[in-house]
Amino acid sequence: MDIVLFKEKLFKKALDEGFTKCELFYSSADSEDIKVYKGETEKYSVTNTGGFGFRGLYNGKMGYFFSEYISEEVIDTVIQNAMQNAELIETDDKEEIFSGSDKYEKVEHFNEALLNVSPEIKTRFALDMERFALEYDKRIIAVNSSIIDTVSGETYIANTSGLELSDKSNFALAYIDVIAEKDGEQIEKGEFKLAQSYDELNAKEIAEQAAKKALSALGASSVKSGEYDIIIQNEAFADILECFEGCFYGDNVRKGFSLLKDSIGKSIASETVTIADEPLLKGGFSSTPFDSEGVACYNKNVVENGELKLLLHNMTSAAAMGTTSTGNGFKASFKSTVGTNATNFYLKPGESDFTDLLTKLKDGLLITEVQGLHSGANKISGDFSLAAEGFLIKDGKIDRPVNQITVASNFYKILKSVKTVGTDLKFGISGVGSPSVHIEKVAVSGL
Amino acid sequence: MNLLDKQTVYDVLEAAKASGAELAELFAERKSTEGMTMINGKVEKVLSGIDSGVGIRIINGGKVVYVYTNKTDRDELIKIARSASLTISGNRDNTVQTLSAMTIPNLCPAEIRISDIKKSEIANILRRGSQSAFNYDPLITQTAMGYASSEQKVLIANSEGLWAEDERVRTRASVSAVASSESEKQTGYFGPGAMKGFEFMRALDIEAIASDAARCAVTMLKADECPSGRFPVIIDNGFGGVIFHEACGHGLEAASVSKNASVFAGKLGQKIASEKVTAIDDGTIANSWGSISVDDEGHLPQKNILIENGILKGYMTDRFNGARMGAEATGSSRRESYKYVPVSRMTNTYIAAGNDSRDDIISSTKYGIYARHMGGGSVDPVSGDFNFAVNEAYIVRNGKICEPVRGATLIGKGSEVLLNIDMVSSDLKLAEGMCGASSGSIPVCVGQPMIRVSEMTVGGRG
Repeated sequence: MDIVLFKEKLFKKALDEGFTKCELFYSSADSEDIKVYKGETEKYSVTNTGGFGFRGLYNGKMGYFFSEYISEEVIDTVIQNAMQNAELIETDDKEEIFSGSDKYEKVEHFNEALLNVSPEIKTRFALDMERFALEYDKRIIAVNSSIIDTVSGETYIANTSGLELSDKSNFALAYIDVIAEKDGEQIEKGEFKLAQSYDELNAKEIAEQAAKKALSALGASSVKSGEYDIIIQNEAFADILECFEGCFYGDNVRKGFSLLKDSIGKSIASETVTIADEPLLKGGFSSTPFDSEGVACYNKNVVENGELKLLLHNMTSAAAMGTTSTGNGFKASFKSTVGTNATNFYLKPGESDFTDLLTKLKDGLLITEVQGLHSGANKISGDFSLAAEGFLIKDGKIDRPVNQITVASNFYKILKSVKTVGTDLKFGISGVGSPSVHIEKVAVSGL
Repeated sequence: MNLLDKQTVYDVLEAAKASGAELAELFAERKSTEGMTMINGKVEKVLSGIDSGVGIRIINGGKVVYVYTNKTDRDELIKIARSASLTISGNRDNTVQTLSAMTIPNLCPAEIRISDIKKSEIANILRRGSQSAFNYDPLITQTAMGYASSEQKVLIANSEGLWAEDERVRTRASVSAVASSESEKQTGYFGPGAMKGFEFMRALDIEAIASDAARCAVTMLKADECPSGRFPVIIDNGFGGVIFHEACGHGLEAASVSKNASVFAGKLGQKIASEKVTAIDDGTIANSWGSISVDDEGHLPQKNILIENGILKGYMTDRFNGARMGAEATGSSRRESYKYVPVSRMTNTYIAAGNDSRDDIISSTKYGIYARHMGGGSVDPVSGDFNFAVNEAYIVRNGKICEPVRGATLIGKGSEVLLNIDMVSSDLKLAEGMCGASSGSIPVCVGQPMIRVSEMTVGGRG
């Protein structure tokens, strides 16, 4: 049923039943997804989904309910459950329904032309990627998946305080996973590219990047345990930054789930470190004009030349800490309650290019990949011990591939021991970005 | 709010099979979920809702077409099915067999539904856990207690006449306790669950679980950093089975094996593990968290022997990947929701009990690491490289468990670690977790008795 009509019926009933304010958050997504294998289409998928999250103030507490089933017959269920859920809330937090910001910046992230790329063209692209990878080197023995997706999403927020906002965006994602083999050893590596226009995607480039990654990792072995100076390559450091992004959320700080209490204005990182959250970044995959509470988003530095400038807030955490929302009150989906999230969150590039970084490192390790962040990292204390791979660097040059090692340190500690930041900023699939960074004295275990 | 009627399903399948594909399948679900989070003894979040949608899969040779939507009205579904079928040119006849209901023994009955209780009872149980963790030690500064349950109604029908209906009721608690010093924080965590209704929560000794989480956090707070290097590693029972899940289980799933993208592909009948190792995936254990009464493509679950005395006996296979391997489906095709194409996944996967005793394992170890509680991990199925975190670890010295150490990570290759298991005790225990892969995040059990790996790389900061 039509979402605006549904909203009106839902709000009327909710207000009749005793809610003082309420809000509907609706989001929908359409996607077309093509995967090829051995020169033929293996999977073709078309999807169309949407759902809403309702929240409302009942006796001063916020009650939530979500549904993918949108029909008049669900309205009573929504209201009864949201009421019961509100009554159980025991925190003293005052979660509010927002009437709107004065001004919203424009974010251009919907490209009509992307909708007109036919499945035939996309299939051709995926087949090309597969072929380019296989032709690149005969040690590339298989392409596990070669995928192209196009996704469009729409968000609509409306409430009884007068807020009514909508936004739509789309993007294309190309992804390839290749397997290289030598002397019975197999290595699988992937590469992706997210783009807002089909023309930005280059099948050959993506395929060859993946092939190079896999080939260069063949024949890897471990290194002796010890303390090493390391370069963490852009994608790997972006993964680490994403894992510990929550340290910068006001909500975690006030609840003791971050160690950055009373740290604003203090130095928490080396002077080479500036970390930004830029929701208005042009072409950013997490760009958005407003957050899930309807607060206008803006660009800011979270850490500037090593100094902590601010924490990321939603309205509730901001109110509890005596400040204002930074426009980072996001729901993970329409099913979620309002939490905190960064947008285009990244370490700002420095001045050393990659060759420079290697020269400055002289002897040590280049870490290209870390695994196990979901389990081997303590998001509160910042401690991590992660499986890693990369290359041994001797005299500023790549000596040989390395695997079967772990890199162990602490996030707060490495922020302080960043010696040099590279120029090669790259955003990961999660929307968190980083250049490569040179870090001194990290415990590495291997042989 | 019923799932689809038989005539609609038949007509949708007919539209999906119009171009002569081998198989057309419809998966419909409606899932109600409930969740509660309590921080430091106060209810902070209560969330409930409904997931609802339909996925239509068409298989023809090596090609799959998958469409899904929230829309459940007949005309819309027929339209979607028809346009999906146009992307296939099959050579089979396009008839759909009469749909006849499959008999599914309910392995996981639920006694008490969420609608039968007052939700304040959930808060009361969680509060008891929080209190127990705080009472354990003044070093406990925060607690986070969680509750999550779901009732998922599914319908799986296909053009071969399958009509399978099932309801999966799952309930899980989560218990975390944080111990703090001036500069450090350590967390203890447990997440017990079952394929049961609210009776699971009523029977749960949440005080004991919470105080064990608190004990783990406090012990780790006081622990020194784990040394790094290669040592014998003793891994305790229960969640310790995550080692097998990561190091071997994923590599035995048909999605990797059928594309030769697994170190275990093509090795049936060969020795891939020490003769002490027998490993099983069993989706039929009554009310177990990882069990299923019927899988998500309409097969009954089985007890599948994966490894017997070190010899590879079988893979976990779904219909689509199985066809590529020339193998029958093993009743373990699973998907998180209608948004995913089902593939073979693990259910309750464990290393079977052996003949060694716990005491012998410890007393025969001169120097090594005892991993009492494991954290999560991940694996690259192609190379077999795995990593996982140890939540609670101790040094073993001269046959005795000595001081605790923290921050340990275990890494290795699945193929090597399986061969290096040199002792297996008899105290098999399962533990609950969530497993993420191509068909989404699904509930699974891991398990094992206490085992010893003769040598493994241990990463730590010490």
